[in-house]
Amino acid sequence: MGPLWRTAWRRWRQRPLQALLLLLGVALGVAMMVSIDIANGSAQRAFQLSTDAIAGRATHRLVAGERGLDEDLYRSLRVEAGVYPAAPVVEGYVQAPALGSSPFRLVGIEPLAEAPFRNYLAGIMGESRDDMTGNGLTPLLTERDTVLLSAEVAEAAGVELGDEVEMILAGQPKQMKVVGLLNPTDSLNREALNNIIFADIGTGQELLDMVGRLSHIDLILDAEREAEVVAWLPTGVQLVTTAAQSNAIQQMTAAFRLNLTALSLLALVVGMFLIYNTVTFSVVQRRPLFGILRCLGVTGQQLFRLIMLETLALSSVGVALGLGLGVFLGRFLVQLVTRTINDLYFVVTVQSVAVPPSTLVKGIVIGLLAALLAALVPAVEAMRTSPQSTLRRSTLESRVEKVMPWLVLASGVLAAVGGLLLWWPTNNLVVAFSGLFAVLFAAAALTAPLTAWSMRLVTPVGGRLLGVLGRMAPRDIVRSLSRTSVAIAALMTAVSVIVGVSIMIGSFRGTVVQWLGQTLQADVFISPPQLTATQLVGSLPLEVVEGVRDWPGVAEMVTARQVDVLAPALGRPMAVAAVDGDVSRGERPFLWYEDESIERLWERLLAGEGVIISEPLFVKEGMSVPPEPIVLLTEEGEKSFPIIGVFYDYTSDRGVVLMGREQYVGYWGDDGYSSIGLFLEEGVEAEGVVRELEAAFGGGGTVSIRSNATLREGSLVIFDRTFAITAALQLLATIVAFIGVLSALMSLQLERARELGVLRANGMTLRQLWQLILLETGLMGTVAGVLAMPTGYVLAWVLIYVINVRSFGWTLQMALEPSYFLEAFMVALVAALLAGVYPAWRLGGMVIATAVRSE
Amino acid sequence: MGDEKKEVVVRLEGITKEFEEGGRTRAVLKGVDEVFYAGDFSLILGQSGSGKSTLLNLISGIDKPTAGDVVVRGEVITKMKERERTLFRRDHIGFIFQFFNLIPTLTVLENVTLPQELAGVRGGQALAKGERLLAQVGLAGREGAFPDKLSGGEQQRVAIARALAHDPMLVLADEPTGNLDVGTGDQVLELLLNLTRLMGKSLVMVTHNEALVPMADRVFDMRGGQLTLRAGAGRKQAAGEVA
Repeated sequence: MGPLWRTAWRRWRQRPLQALLLLLGVALGVAMMVSIDIANGSAQRAFQLSTDAIAGRATHRLVAGERGLDEDLYRSLRVEAGVYPAAPVVEGYVQAPALGSSPFRLVGIEPLAEAPFRNYLAGIMGESRDDMTGNGLTPLLTERDTVLLSAEVAEAAGVELGDEVEMILAGQPKQMKVVGLLNPTDSLNREALNNIIFADIGTGQELLDMVGRLSHIDLILDAEREAEVVAWLPTGVQLVTTAAQSNAIQQMTAAFRLNLTALSLLALVVGMFLIYNTVTFSVVQRRPLFGILRCLGVTGQQLFRLIMLETLALSSVGVALGLGLGVFLGRFLVQLVTRTINDLYFVVTVQSVAVPPSTLVKGIVIGLLAALLAALVPAVEAMRTSPQSTLRRSTLESRVEKVMPWLVLASGVLAAVGGLLLWWPTNNLVVAFSGLFAVLFAAAALTAPLTAWSMRLVTPVGGRLLGVLGRMAPRDIVRSLSRTSVAIAALMTAVSVIVGVSIMIGSFRGTVVQWLGQTLQADVFISPPQLTATQLVGSLPLEVVEGVRDWPGVAEMVTARQVDVLAPALGRPMAVAAVDGDVSRGERPFLWYEDESIERLWERLLAGEGVIISEPLFVKEGMSVPPEPIVLLTEEGEKSFPIIGVFYDYTSDRGVVLMGREQYVGYWGDDGYSSIGLFLEEGVEAEGVVRELEAAFGGGGTVSIRSNATLREGSLVIFDRTFAITAALQLLATIVAFIGVLSALMSLQLERARELGVLRANGMTLRQLWQLILLETGLMGTVAGVLAMPTGYVLAWVLIYVINVRSFGWTLQMALEPSYFLEAFMVALVAALLAGVYPAWRLGGMVIATAVRSE
Repeated sequence: MGDEKKEVVVRLEGITKEFEEGGRTRAVLKGVDEVFYAGDFSLILGQSGSGKSTLLNLISGIDKPTAGDVVVRGEVITKMKERERTLFRRDHIGFIFQFFNLIPTLTVLENVTLPQELAGVRGGQALAKGERLLAQVGLAGREGAFPDKLSGGEQQRVAIARALAHDPMLVLADEPTGNLDVGTGDQVLELLLNLTRLMGKSLVMVTHNEALVPMADRVFDMRGGQLTLRAGAGRKQAAGEVA
């Protein structure tokens, strides 16, 4: 080790706290990124694994509308078209409380057709006995209500071969006998099977209420056969590739995942401020040493290399820590991410958290690059240290004064670039987030000039109010502006995110509360118990529908049938709600409608003259007024439906199509009911009717009956749950910023040990020392808090009117409440004051004699 | 004039100071007993590392002895609590350091009035006194300047004004000319001696500069952890005023 490296090594060893802060800056930034990546990736991987496991070696699938395919199609396909291999499948979600709280995917298969498709099921055909325990095939084919389970799941739940397990779909419980335990040798399949239950197709059809129907038919086709099958296809049936189908479903969560990634990047940016500050401090502190080294012949390049390499070495340790912390945090975040995906998109159960090497590599590369980028300015500063500057510690600070006009200019340019990117009419979220980051950086660049300006304004006032301490504190902040402004910028950024996200969530909540109030006008709602928050799966028993219609006290009943229907042009399924009346009684807000009145609009809808679509569908598909008709896959093939209105809807960003019930039944032949809204007669109490109906129909949990108030309450619980992940990330970003401020303040105060020693020697009491330090940190927190308010407002505006619209297609009404700003300001102030406590305590205990002597 | 007639401003009683160095204890001061008289210029000479600055720090109360007592004007400051020592220092002691140690964020005038402001004295009285002292050290008109705009000599003159601004009974100076060239150092020293004598202040100065011996009232040598009076050296000893 050369002398340069020895001095560097010993210096960091003497100042372990500084080294630790640098490590923390890198570690926390990397941890945030890695954890979000792991959470996103695990949820995606779990979905992909179970989809792949079900698809097996199938290359294509025959699909139709919501009700699936007629099972006769399978016979015709083999007999008439001679397509082989082919395997019929029904699938849906069931609860199996004995096996775990997450929903399971129930897959009904034709065992005799399985061999070419799902290799882990080969055991049931007798090809290999290693994969399975039990006599799968015979009982599966011959006994009713039998299932195959993953051996791992069975073992974890203490279920053995021959045991009966209760399975519930739409509240209807059924006992199923376990006749085989699957134990694939392939680890991926083993993991995927952890949330799949297999049954014979007949059992599956019965359990999933799909008697005579198939969800899809799996095929293995080459290009030539594909063309033949397409030519043969009957009306209403589509041939899709399995990859495209799975991809389309994955794409539904793309915006959600990108939003999380952007939030995690924000933490990295705050972490970069922290690294910049620590490295800058280490350079400023070593200025005399560098001056001496330069006198002795060390070149500027050598000093540059020294700073960059020592940053690299320290940040490597930080990255390693960050990876570990990220994996740990990821396990926690994956629960939140999965819950949101389940609430908003589709059912996914994450059994294991995977840490893909690509995530780790990304964490390492981005973490190190961010650290080196942050160290660049101080390293250049070290390189430029001239031998004469040995005794001048304030060179950097005087340079900051000179770059002030440039900072203002840079802020203007960044704001303009940000504005341009946000204004750019594209649905690309990366462009929108780049714009958002540019705006944030513009605000950060303004921090130094605004801090200097405000501190100069505060000095005379502080002097009048608090005497010499009141004058010293603001001047100290300006004197070390290169570092104080960075700490303030870091805190400001984190707090502005709190303001922005709070306003966004608050506005969102306000909009949803108002919307729920308008849309849910019925007094009592009845539906099958739900697996997910926003999707109605299963049907209400007919006797319930008929029974409640004439229930005493019921004035009017409206029903809805909610199903997923493929929109071939859009390449994805969407929710179709077939209604026979307006559950909002005309109160539902509309973005646009063709007719002169809402009454007329509903008349036309119920008459089957057109459909009404939700705002997210309208926005995300880039439609304009009047919208082009939408094409849906019906039993009779693709049909075009004129759009006669666009309504506001916040249940899902996938898109909803409202359709008259008669029209729906006509095209799809499905006369089931998913939900009922009851309007009660004047003076009838809703909770009383709910109790009566529950007594009459609710036994065994077959239906869920809720009053208007309970349903709204439940909806808001789901809303709050959806944003739990955002709150968690917000908290983490604030912690990073807090450490940033603590680090900056500690460095600054410790650097001033001698000066504070002189003050103490001249009679400054401990109390006055605390006052001075807390005054300084309080002023820094105040500046950060004040700057965070307008920045946070701009951020909220961008989130509400640009990011949200482009991500999810929702229009929100911005609701500003003083509490958002006040709370954020208090966070900044308290964080800064708390960050001053340790330096004050430490300096309070200094030996004045030593401090006065120290250079 | 005999010893018993002079008022003692500082009494050192068996002062010992030890430092821990790499797991070993090193005694810098070994049972020092001495007195300093009011109005005197006491000079302590010694080589670097002999413990003379340590002794000054103990007298001011910014450091505590391992054993022994420091009594200033009858008050045992080594028995005082930290806050009491600070307040005592603020009211009764003025400090001048080798490296000037001005506060960079305070103007020249604010540096001078600092001890008074810390004591809660504000406004006209403190400012007027500060301005008068600055005029006395030849820095009239520079009140609003910040320390980094001053030369080394000017900075030390501000430090002298600061040390006298709150009318202390005792001024402690640690190598006040050690960081200045000879010419400037002499000017600063002359100013310091004139002002302390004019204002009747006791001055204890540590240095290794033998040239100051003729100007001091009494001269001490710090050697081997002991403080010894140099016989016949210093103005008062030469004149036979004190033993």
